[in-house]
Amino acid sequence: MRLPTCVLVLIGGLAQASFAQQSVATSEKDFLQEMPLVLSVSRLAQRLDETPGAVTVLDRNMIRLSGARDVADLLRLVPGFQTSNSFEGDAPQASYHGAYNGYSSRIQVLVDGRAAYSPYLIGSIGPGLQLVAMNDIERIEVLRGSNSASYGARAFLGVINIVTRDPADTLGAKGSISLGDNGIQDTQASLGWSTDKANFRLGIDRRYDAGLAGSAGADRITRLNFRMDYRPSAIDEVQFRVGGYDTQAALGYFNDPGRPQRDRFYDSRYLQLDWRRNLSLDSDLALGYAHARESYEDVFLYPLPAPFFGTVVDIGGYALSDTLSLQHTLRISPQLRLVWGSELRREQVVSKPIYNTAAIQKVDFTRLFGNLEWRFASDALILNAGGLLERDSRGTDNFAPRVMLNWHMVPGQTLRVGASKAYRPPSSYETSGNVQFSTNGVVLQINRLSRGNVQAESVLARELGYLGEFPKLALSLDVRAFHEQIGNPIKSVGYDLPAGTTLFTNASGVSQTSDYVNAEDFSIHGLEYQLKWRPWMGAQLVVGQSLTTIDSADTVEATAAPKSATTLMWTQKLPGGLDFTLTHQAQSLAKLHTARETYAFNRTDVRLGWPFRVGTNKADLSLVIQNLGPSIVDFDNTLFFQRRAYVTFRIEQ
Amino acid sequence: MHDRNVINAGMSWHPSQLWVARCVRLQRFLATLVMGVLMAMAMAAPAWSADAQVVIVLSERSTSYTDAAEALQAELVKVGVARADVAQLTIEELSALPIAATPAPKVYAAIGTLAFSQLANRDIKVPIVATLLPRLSYEQIAQSPQRKSTGPLAGVVLNQPFGRVLDLIRLALPGVRKVAVLWGPDSRSQAPAFQAAAQQRGLQWAEATVTAGTSAYPAMQNLLDDAEVLLGVADPQVYNSSTIQNILLTSFRARVPMVGFSAAYVQAGAAFGVYSTPPMLGRQAAALVRNAMLGRALPAAVQFPQEYAIGVNANVARALSLSLNDTQLTERLRQLERTP
Repeated sequence: MRLPTCVLVLIGGLAQASFAQQSVATSEKDFLQEMPLVLSVSRLAQRLDETPGAVTVLDRNMIRLSGARDVADLLRLVPGFQTSNSFEGDAPQASYHGAYNGYSSRIQVLVDGRAAYSPYLIGSIGPGLQLVAMNDIERIEVLRGSNSASYGARAFLGVINIVTRDPADTLGAKGSISLGDNGIQDTQASLGWSTDKANFRLGIDRRYDAGLAGSAGADRITRLNFRMDYRPSAIDEVQFRVGGYDTQAALGYFNDPGRPQRDRFYDSRYLQLDWRRNLSLDSDLALGYAHARESYEDVFLYPLPAPFFGTVVDIGGYALSDTLSLQHTLRISPQLRLVWGSELRREQVVSKPIYNTAAIQKVDFTRLFGNLEWRFASDALILNAGGLLERDSRGTDNFAPRVMLNWHMVPGQTLRVGASKAYRPPSSYETSGNVQFSTNGVVLQINRLSRGNVQAESVLARELGYLGEFPKLALSLDVRAFHEQIGNPIKSVGYDLPAGTTLFTNASGVSQTSDYVNAEDFSIHGLEYQLKWRPWMGAQLVVGQSLTTIDSADTVEATAAPKSATTLMWTQKLPGGLDFTLTHQAQSLAKLHTARETYAFNRTDVRLGWPFRVGTNKADLSLVIQNLGPSIVDFDNTLFFQRRAYVTFRIEQ
Repeated sequence: MHDRNVINAGMSWHPSQLWVARCVRLQRFLATLVMGVLMAMAMAAPAWSADAQVVIVLSERSTSYTDAAEALQAELVKVGVARADVAQLTIEELSALPIAATPAPKVYAAIGTLAFSQLANRDIKVPIVATLLPRLSYEQIAQSPQRKSTGPLAGVVLNQPFGRVLDLIRLALPGVRKVAVLWGPDSRSQAPAFQAAAQQRGLQWAEATVTAGTSAYPAMQNLLDDAEVLLGVADPQVYNSSTIQNILLTSFRARVPMVGFSAAYVQAGAAFGVYSTPPMLGRQAAALVRNAMLGRALPAAVQFPQEYAIGVNANVARALSLSLNDTQLTERLRQLERTP
């Protein structure tokens, strides 16, 4: 009989221990004790009007009120972006200043500081945008402009920085469920807990719908994300993240034997460890390691004419990336701040079908970067000068400098002028892709035979910006005028093989294949602006417009971005605590990701939300109707984003 | 030249006279030595001589407490109390004294909560002046039904009057209309005083209370949506070395400056703050001690600090687009307090 009592006492003791705080009475210690330095030099992020570029911040509230189910779809509200909701490009895509092809690789995506583009999918950022559940996002900072000096290589035309919520902010249980048209079934649950020195969050979610109209079928994503923030001492912080997602998407087209309808499986896993140490009042050191793995599975049967039977086409494989990084932030004086660091990255891609060899396609990158922020003329002028030096194991060295001057003409009015050079090194596929289909020893077709004569594409971006804050009018305006000169753009071109190389030939009997080469330079110039206004109580209006011209001899390329694109988001608090959102997007003629024809479209979404309480828990019921108008052609000219409505119920402790 | 002659002259004494002279010199030397040792002992000793008029009792012998005690003593000396009349010892040392050696001063001065609570539990009939403790601690001890001491009590507390802090907020952040406060189980009792001071200055407020055992973050999230400034009020449940990380990071991200209640908070990341240091409180307590020594009545209500310092975290202020100058603010706040 004593045993149960012992157990009860033990449980009682554990229960008590799990309550984080012990009762400590107020004393003079609260006033006299030393406190750890929290807002250290690396945490004091630059103010918006002092960043060396135009930044659009999408905060948690805006994300929730937009009703978007994917980050890519949310990014349509950022000036200068072209987006797609199709899984045909392996994941919904977002690209800046032009949807050139099926993969968006001219911008960088970072998730909590880790580069999350896909080495397997030619540097596409689509898969990276899927890593985080919408409810776990704290904010998304979109830097519209080149900035390799601060964000690494591949911050070619812009950077998307996804920041997840701090586990300390998400303690307790949360859940949400969305059901609606087009088979929409999204469920999400997360649990956050804390101990004396650490905070944890574990989240699992599932995103499912029947796909775009005209698509082969349903798209399903299952995610798991774990994050731990641990403070072993007053000056150290350790963050550990691990997780991944599995996608099953139906791709392909009816009656297209080369791209038949089938399910494609894409899995992504990551592990990230970061350690930040506060060295002194003016100096912080951060050390990080990240490992990511992707695996791609796409198998289908390709019917062949007699005397062959069919051949199994398998374009699967996997890729690994490992990154070791070091960053030191130092405040040299009240006017001078330096951030510098180094990064080692290894990318390995293995895919026999895509490279015609089981050998690992390995590329090692060594990077050194630095940025000096110098404020002078009593803080009226801020100069950011930085650069990235990158060497890759293929023998190329690139130096990407960036200089930007911010001038606070008067408090609240800032002018920005600067130039930067950035590079996008070719991905393994662009240098060594070798896609051949054979059966019984006969080479049927060679879709890709990269000859490796391709070097990094470069961009010289010059910009003039303006940021105005008018607090009395509750208005802020951000304008960016830009000229981006793209040098050596990497393009896919066809070329002829010697006669008889392949069984299948074109109409003229010539064996054809394709390669990646550096094509003719082209330039992009234009103007973008974003206006944020609170016209009356409970209302917020965000208007963005992008006027872009692509100057290219290639007429198709010249239509990759619309000449004019406008977005509007109006949120209004209604009586009864309801909130209402209206989002409108209008885009002039532009080509689709993988179609040459140009299309213009309008899209209007509405959301009505009703926050209420269930006991002490916050809950939310909302109705979202996406695309009130006619269906919008998306990605290629057979897929359509049709109107869909869905209801979401969300609850949190 | 002259000295050598004297020495030489001394050296010419007769041997018997020399011996006597040496004895005398020896005696004088010994006497000086003994007196020196006694004086050294008297100065080095914890000076709890039974006839000390003021006994300062410290909660512990660490910097803050000794700074307050030294400042108190120095101030008393300035107004004419003899140094030897002021004794300093820790509450531990006091408790360890044998009954016979218990001091019997005219006034006790308690530095810190522990010293004050222990003194209040002794059979003391003379006044006790407490300082370097929060108002809540002072009041809890002073009003405790278990209190054994019977003499009058007075205190100089660490808390800044809300009026002063709100005036500083209005000077530093002129456009602010709404002040957010996060109360804890201990600080909750100060809410009426805060509300009165805010109302007087035409400021609105947003409050949230953190109860024992729950996390501060949900309450703070709601506050930050509405707040223009977060006023920190000491309460270990709400503001401690583990919670301060998140409070400062979250409020900074929301672009809401925090007003700290100590120099440590300002350095940690609070945009600015007003606080009083141990020497400042010691000096103020000295005035009360002097009054008690002269038999004058002590103020019934607890005293807020009269001397204060304003700290500004320049880096945080700049990051939040605030232009704050600590000397200017100190100047203007003093002016504001001077005008009736």
